Amino acid sequence: MKRIMTMLLMPALCLAVGCGQAPDDKLSEAEKAVMSAKLAGAQAYVAEDYAKLEGMLNNAKTELADQKGKFALFRDYGKTEQLLTAVTAEAPKLIEETAKKKAETKDAAISAHQAAKEAVKAAQALVAKAPVGKDRAAVEAIRNEAKVLKASLNEVQMAMDQEDYLTAQSKAKAVQDKSLALSAEVRGALAKVGSATTAKDAKRAKKKK
Amino acid sequence: MGRFSLERLRAGTVIAVMSVSLLSACVQQAPPELVQAVEALDRRLVAAHGAEYAPKEYARFVQRWVATKERLRSDGDLVGWPWEDNPFETDLRALHEEGSRVLALATDTRNAERRLARSQVVHLERRFRRLTSGVDRIGSRMVLGEKRVETELLVKQARSFMEQGRFVQAQRVARQADQRMTNQAAHLNSELGRYADKVQVDQWRAMVRRTVDWSRQHQAAALVVEKAKRRMTLYRSGKAISSYPVRLGFNGVQEKRYEDDGATPEGAYRVLRMKDRGQTDFYRALLLDYPNADDQRRFQAARRTGAVPFRSRIGGNIEIHGQASRELSQTLGCVMVGNRQMDELFLAVGVGTPVTIVGAVDADNSVAVVLAQMDEDDDTDEDDTDPPDEQDVTDGTVVDQG
Repeated sequence: MKRIMTMLLMPALCLAVGCGQAPDDKLSEAEKAVMSAKLAGAQAYVAEDYAKLEGMLNNAKTELADQKGKFALFRDYGKTEQLLTAVTAEAPKLIEETAKKKAETKDAAISAHQAAKEAVKAAQALVAKAPVGKDRAAVEAIRNEAKVLKASLNEVQMAMDQEDYLTAQSKAKAVQDKSLALSAEVRGALAKVGSATTAKDAKRAKKKK
Repeated sequence: MGRFSLERLRAGTVIAVMSVSLLSACVQQAPPELVQAVEALDRRLVAAHGAEYAPKEYARFVQRWVATKERLRSDGDLVGWPWEDNPFETDLRALHEEGSRVLALATDTRNAERRLARSQVVHLERRFRRLTSGVDRIGSRMVLGEKRVETELLVKQARSFMEQGRFVQAQRVARQADQRMTNQAAHLNSELGRYADKVQVDQWRAMVRRTVDWSRQHQAAALVVEKAKRRMTLYRSGKAISSYPVRLGFNGVQEKRYEDDGATPEGAYRVLRMKDRGQTDFYRALLLDYPNADDQRRFQAARRTGAVPFRSRIGGNIEIHGQASRELSQTLGCVMVGNRQMDELFLAVGVGTPVTIVGAVDADNSVAVVLAQMDEDDDTDEDDTDPPDEQDVTDGTVVDQG
């Protein structure tokens, strides 16, 4: 009788224990997926969606903990597995969305960098023509500023290389603004010298008459 | 028998209809309008950057919302007693309340960050304008060198971050720029602090007095150059005869340390040689006896302490000269006057005429005033509040430009 009972109970017990195995592999897979999204920059570029993904993972973990708290025979990890599978499935979508946003920011940074380069180039060309009749102090300062602006373009490039496109964009915008201001300053000085020269020429012409 | 069956059938039907009605009354579903309300709230939280401005609270809300959505998906309809509350409705209402609180917090925090960033950037730009206008006023743009434009780039970057709606980053860059400006003000103070030093100004005043006394005693001409005022005064028999505006070296306000630093030396000199037309590129010139013994001593001491580059030289050829051509209308440390004034000087002075060059003779000279204004910057700042066109957002529906 005892043997018959054991033979009946054992498969049921094995079945119960087998079904009650915690889905640790799926958990680590889901955690890896969330970490991949984080490393892809989801936290910075799609922060709210990333928070949702973390929320999904936390829910799955809560469910897992609930099941683990139950008596072994009553554990059911079906829902936990479902939740973890959803997390793992959602992460690539988020990575894709992050890449899209990142590409948009990168494009904006590249345009800003290009605009800054052109502005610096134009400023340098104008500085080369800076009127020597202007105060030497101002001319020296302007030349120094043009040099710094050129060097700052390297900082923009460094930020781009580090994929810090937001910083690159704001730096590039600053360099562009300053280059334009510098160009305007030199252009103003050139205009002054031009008008002074014209006035002198007119005076000379009058004298000759 | 047939009548009895019919009655039983009728009773059965009534019971069945009542049972179905009762059962359907007990089936509980999530009210769609509540689900939509929470979904809308979630969208507003995304727009309000909930994850950035209320991270913990938003994470809690999101976790609950994700769990509720999962329950809605997996449980579908629930059966409960008619007198029991609909658990979906209860949960969604609680979630909506929590979400509204998070939205209010995120919006408030974001507005506060925006106000702080704006105030810091406005303060920064004002401080920078004051610094640069002060520096330009005293002709010491070169003293700051590259630091000035580096700071300006930071100021502009802070503004750019703010316009992108990245207020925390704007504040971080603004703090960096502010610190740089403090350092630059300190640098200016260390380079030009002599102008605000009472003892130094007294010494300069004494030098000028001695020169004027010499002029009186010897009934002769003497020249005094005040760098802060950028003026040269011609004395005859102790009396000021004429005063001329002058240009100094491109780094003129600083103390001359070595050759090519663009600074105009300070000290008691004499005219060593008078260079007439054809002997100088600068119309006419009065060559001074720079470097004198004091200059040599100072230079050697600076070399020993490393205050000047090791390979540097003391320089020379410091002159008071005219202006020959546009190309040469600059000085590397000399004192330049107009050609007409140079003609007057040539008639008034001779070899051996004392020429005293000082920083300033007044305690409230222009350089000292600018330095004092820089020190007062933080106390005298005007109100850095928002302009009226930049109102706080009332919730997360306003989307950033950036």
